[in-house]
Amino acid sequence: MAGLLKKTTGLVGLAVSHTPHERLRILYSKILASLQTMPQDAAYRKYTEQLVNERLTHVEEEPDIEKLEKKISCGQIEEVIFQAECELNLSRKMSEWKPWEPLIEEPPPNQWKWPV
Amino acid sequence: MAASLVRFVRGGLGRSFNIGRSSCLLQQQQQHRRQSSTTETSPTVRAKDAVTHNQLAVFGEYVAEILPKYIQQVQVTCYNELEVMIHPDGVVPVLTFLRDHTNAQFTNMTDLTAVDIPTRQNRFEIVYNLLSLRYNSRIRVKTYTDELTPVDSAVPVHKVANWYEREVWDMYGVFFTGHPDLRRILTDYGFEGHPFRKDFPLSGYVEVRYDDEVKRVVAEPVELSQEFRKFDLNSPWEVFPAFREPKEAAPKLEAGDKAPEKK
Repeated sequence: MAGLLKKTTGLVGLAVSHTPHERLRILYSKILASLQTMPQDAAYRKYTEQLVNERLTHVEEEPDIEKLEKKISCGQIEEVIFQAECELNLSRKMSEWKPWEPLIEEPPPNQWKWPV
Repeated sequence: MAASLVRFVRGGLGRSFNIGRSSCLLQQQQQHRRQSSTTETSPTVRAKDAVTHNQLAVFGEYVAEILPKYIQQVQVTCYNELEVMIHPDGVVPVLTFLRDHTNAQFTNMTDLTAVDIPTRQNRFEIVYNLLSLRYNSRIRVKTYTDELTPVDSAVPVHKVANWYEREVWDMYGVFFTGHPDLRRILTDYGFEGHPFRKDFPLSGYVEVRYDDEVKRVVAEPVELSQEFRKFDLNSPWEVFPAFREPKEAAPKLEAGDKAPEKK
């Protein structure tokens, strides 16, 4: 019911979400699905799965929005939704870029030596 | 792991971390009090912030582990600044990762600039400074290029990069592929050359002046009116009067000679 009483997030361009739990559950399941396409030992997959699973358990356990915000402790629930949207976009791009592969090219000698 | 973590730790990390943060603060306050009462003998050295240093080092390792394809080196400077050195192909992936990842959220690009070091094989260093408002932390991403190799534009990731990249193009002549509107931003119409390159002369190549005959401002190649000037650097005051050298005595005049004419 807190969602109905809340008038604004106080942030420009960020509307109040009325069904944050549902939205977060959809987003997190999509992220997990897109992470499935990556290899098992990819560090990005490992860390993101850990993070998303932790938040997903919070979302499923805690029906009260204010308590949920405190448990996640990453801003208001609308901001958390925005973060999940960004993470979903990123995970889709990551499976194109494949950043878990070895380094493309070593730097030329003394490129990062300072002072010269 | 290809990316190596270089830490600039200058010893003195012996303080144990298992004591709580509040007790640390208390100890520091007590030390301050003691110091203010007695005369201060210790040299004024920048206080080490080992906690921040460690946090940055851990985050640097985290980023390097996730993106080993692009990151060549990670370091934390002695002023507690996290620097990530990347391959030029990884500009867009690394910046996008730092912006969109939940544990990073570097949504704000505070600066984009270049450094010219002509002795290197890739003479230009492109520097991206990012700020995370969520975690109140900053990160610096560095990459490299030479005069001819274009770098991927960061505009699709951060809109602010538009004018910064125009500035870098204007001042250093680094070309950014995928930039929506890459033209000069600071120099005058018809300007030639890139003024921040180390081989650009201090006086420039052209000078402008108002010509009274044609009634307009004309641009001409620089002509230095003063080719070479010799400075007299001797002090007008006597420095070592005790070691004064005797002046040459004026040649004695014979009675019959005339004194030389005085000018």
